[in-house]
Amino acid sequence: MRSLKNHISLIIPLFAILFAVEFYFIISKIIAEYEVNLSKDYSIIVVSKKPLTLPELKAVEPDIALIQEIDSDLIIKRLKQNGVDVNYEELKNFLPHFYKVYLSSFPSADMLEHIKQVLRGVDGVTRVETFTKVHEKMYHFLIFLKKISKFFLGIIFVTSIMLVFKQIEIWNLEHSERMYIMALFGAPLWMRNAILIKLSVIDTVISTILVYLIYSYLLSTKYLKELLGFENITISAQDLLKDMGWLFALGILISVVNVLIVSWRQPKIA
Amino acid sequence: MSREKNVIIAKDLYLEYKKDVPIIKNSTFSIKSGSFVFITGPSGSGKSTLLKSFYGELKPKGGSLQIGGVSLNDIKSSKLAFLRKYLGIIFQDYKLIKEWTVEKNVMLPLLIAGYSKDVCEAQTKRLLKHVRLSGKENYYPLELSGGEQQRVAMARALAHNPVIILADEPTGNLDEYSSRVIWNLLEGANEQLGTTVVVVTHSIPNNLKVPFKHFYIENGTVYEIS
Repeated sequence: MRSLKNHISLIIPLFAILFAVEFYFIISKIIAEYEVNLSKDYSIIVVSKKPLTLPELKAVEPDIALIQEIDSDLIIKRLKQNGVDVNYEELKNFLPHFYKVYLSSFPSADMLEHIKQVLRGVDGVTRVETFTKVHEKMYHFLIFLKKISKFFLGIIFVTSIMLVFKQIEIWNLEHSERMYIMALFGAPLWMRNAILIKLSVIDTVISTILVYLIYSYLLSTKYLKELLGFENITISAQDLLKDMGWLFALGILISVVNVLIVSWRQPKIA
Repeated sequence: MSREKNVIIAKDLYLEYKKDVPIIKNSTFSIKSGSFVFITGPSGSGKSTLLKSFYGELKPKGGSLQIGGVSLNDIKSSKLAFLRKYLGIIFQDYKLIKEWTVEKNVMLPLLIAGYSKDVCEAQTKRLLKHVRLSGKENYYPLELSGGEQQRVAMARALAHNPVIILADEPTGNLDEYSSRVIWNLLEGANEQLGTTVVVVTHSIPNNLKVPFKHFYIENGTVYEIS
């Protein structure tokens, strides 16, 4: 019973750390995919008197991924729908070229301003429209999400590390007599601490499995599937397993470092 | 550690726990390899403290102390761990690992020395027979009597064929029969294996067969009596 309590006392903080880290991983993944999706949907409208080509624009701004000319018929059609009274055939001859310019990544506000200035300097370009307000809203929301998840990760990490440290200190006291006897017979530090490291590894394995099971369940729920699917975001079982590898390594690192710190803090027998 | 002529050499040895409160002072003595030595003295005279300094738990604050040619004055942890592999230590309270079986307790010095499992098992079996505990391999220390526990500690101390056995009141808690067994084992190690035996005790047994040296501690100073 005492042994179970001891294990749980380490599993809980380790689980909290790993859960928070995995939450951060997933949020980062969602944001990264969301950014990619946004960059695919997002475009700058460029109006030019002369025809533009992709190499020409790429030469001035390498982040430009694609340009797409808007068919003038579409513009005429819209004017017709609005009932504007002009000679459409004549107008067609005078219309400038309209382009949708796509970027390779989702830009920051500064970067967007820079791109705007660069495009304005291109020969023939008369107008550049970035729809900054819409863009900034989305971008700031993403940054806010990232910051919040980092902040919570930090708090959980520090608190949990302290709990892990306390639990390993308790273990150390429980095993101090055995470690003392082993030291009397010349056992090196790693051998004296082998049992603590073994216990830590077992608890890290349990914590990692628990985190995996909970996230597997959460990501398979209808609600989250629909929510993520709506934004074309997918987190595969393979991604989750890969994360678990990192989490296990992190858990082991935390445990082993704590075991060593606690051991060094113990009074030396010589 | 080599089996040198003088296996323990102390010069003006000074030991203390608290600053400027000496437990052992101005003590110069040496212990020859292969000898059987008793250290006696009144309670609180510093017998166990002196023994602690021999296995490096207490470092000298003055003078010098050498075990097997290794200075214990400023010894590093790694070197001390190495030195301890050549020592066998026996305590009045046995100091067995309660969570381990008798077999694993005896194996401890062999495991530390890095022997293979087969060698450890064979040596442990032989030693348990030697200390008359065959068949108790899988018992835990608390399932044994005090005398049996001390015999397990004795087997552990002998397991790696140490150069020196350091015993702190090894029969202090034992009945006459168990005490006799322990003295026989210590005598056997000294006579047959040439192991140096240093015993801290209140009283020297009357019927010891081996020749021995006697050191006495009085007012913090170690005197060689015989």
